[in-house]
Amino acid sequence: MRYLRLLGLFLKANLLAELEYRANFAAQSALGVLWAGLTFVSVAVFFTQTDALGGWTYGQALIIVALFTMISGMTRFILEPNVIKVVEMVRTGTMDFVLTKPANSQFLATLRHAQYAGLADIAAGGVIMIFAMSQMQYSPDPAALIQFGIMLTSALVITYSIWLVMAALSFWFVKIESLSELFYALFDTARFPVTTYPGLVRLLLTFVLPVAFMTTFPAQAVLGLLDFATLLASVGLATVLILFSAWLWQRAVLSYSSASS
Amino acid sequence: MVTWWLRKYIALGKAGWALIMEYRAQVMIWMMSSFLMVIMLLVWLSISSEGEVNGYSTTDFITYFMVGWIVRNLTAVWASWELDFNIREGRLSPMLLRPIHPIHNDVAIHWVEKLLRLGIVVPIAALVLFVTPGVRLDFSPLNALAFLISLIGAWVITFLSDYLVGILAFWITQVGAFINGFFGIRLVLSGAIAPIAMFPLAIQDILRWSPFPYMLNFSVDVAMGRLTPEALLAGLIIQWGWAVFFILATWAFWKVAVRSYSAVGA
Repeated sequence: MRYLRLLGLFLKANLLAELEYRANFAAQSALGVLWAGLTFVSVAVFFTQTDALGGWTYGQALIIVALFTMISGMTRFILEPNVIKVVEMVRTGTMDFVLTKPANSQFLATLRHAQYAGLADIAAGGVIMIFAMSQMQYSPDPAALIQFGIMLTSALVITYSIWLVMAALSFWFVKIESLSELFYALFDTARFPVTTYPGLVRLLLTFVLPVAFMTTFPAQAVLGLLDFATLLASVGLATVLILFSAWLWQRAVLSYSSASS
Repeated sequence: MVTWWLRKYIALGKAGWALIMEYRAQVMIWMMSSFLMVIMLLVWLSISSEGEVNGYSTTDFITYFMVGWIVRNLTAVWASWELDFNIREGRLSPMLLRPIHPIHNDVAIHWVEKLLRLGIVVPIAALVLFVTPGVRLDFSPLNALAFLISLIGAWVITFLSDYLVGILAFWITQVGAFINGFFGIRLVLSGAIAPIAMFPLAIQDILRWSPFPYMLNFSVDVAMGRLTPEALLAGLIIQWGWAVFFILATWAFWKVAVRSYSAVGA
């Protein structure tokens, strides 16, 4: 309860700060929508030449584009701003002020900041989702929606865990900009169904890097094409990753010895 | 006159090389931003395995993206970010006092940085092209010359159009969003994610007159020998028309901009 109230306060404080810089907010939001459009084009261009991509039709593939845009938006909204701050605080030693506050350090470090322009990406993703469904004249039944809810939650938890791992690593390796660049480079593969990629890459994106769990499997869920085993695997993976990343964060914090001392 | 400029550029280049070597890890990271081209290539390959796509075979796609990757690295720009930063922080003032236009420093640094990039990109691309069966590249003397001219043209257009967006920082503070947005538009319309030949015909017809295909797609077409002599000549004329346009526009725009510049804190 206390944490929910804190989260509300953080979001409000961030919103007030954001309203101070409205031009920045407008520019960043417009940029988010532009990139959503470019992602859309980068997938749609294939369908000028073919009817199916890795067995996915145009409409189905657009569901993946929508999810890709939404998860990018979520990343931009809450994950990236916080992890950037963590890296900076570790480098300058101001992490002390976070660790001495009477609340969970992981909570404070990963949910304190927000960049509201990320919501524009999420909204653009929603628009693409609706467009895709109207293309296919499809509306998911309640069972598919429940599965989608579970899969999307797992996808977000997995994404959060990855960023938390990156934040934790910054305690040991001060420069992690390269890691977030690596995340974006690899996450770019998530704009296409994993079945599009050749065998080895597909295996890599499913079992080694959980890219398939971020967009392909949740899209299958909303389309009612998901099998139960994948659902279980997804929930299992999300649980394992969140526990592992939280453990790593604890280890990182314990090894932290401010910057100047 | 020529030796005067040569001496200046050698000095700027040496200083630039020292700077680039300090940031060599960073340069590698920037190079990752072209990873999207690898992804797009993989997806095109999945389609072309079932037969030619709009006249492109599997080998053609590999050739297109490998040569395109080299061109993209040769034309990578970040001068606008630098300009934006220098204007916002008021650091431009001392640069304006130098007897040489600040743009020459950016040009020199961009060129030496390309040496580092080429050292990495060319061997990898050459190896991929070597092991791919049936790669056809036209390096007859005349075509090689045309390729070289098109590369210089591509660099001039890419660098100066980006620089022009950077000059906006003289008037507005949110120029980062413009730079990033322009980067994205360039990515798609220059042919970095798909050969322009894959786009709908109506769009191709419009793009032909825009500067974008001449930043990447055109040079690759030249190297692959896909163009008729007439199309090659027409392409070079349009490309260099744009190059001249951007040179004049940068020159004029800069003059107006500097007049309205008052340094931060000054």
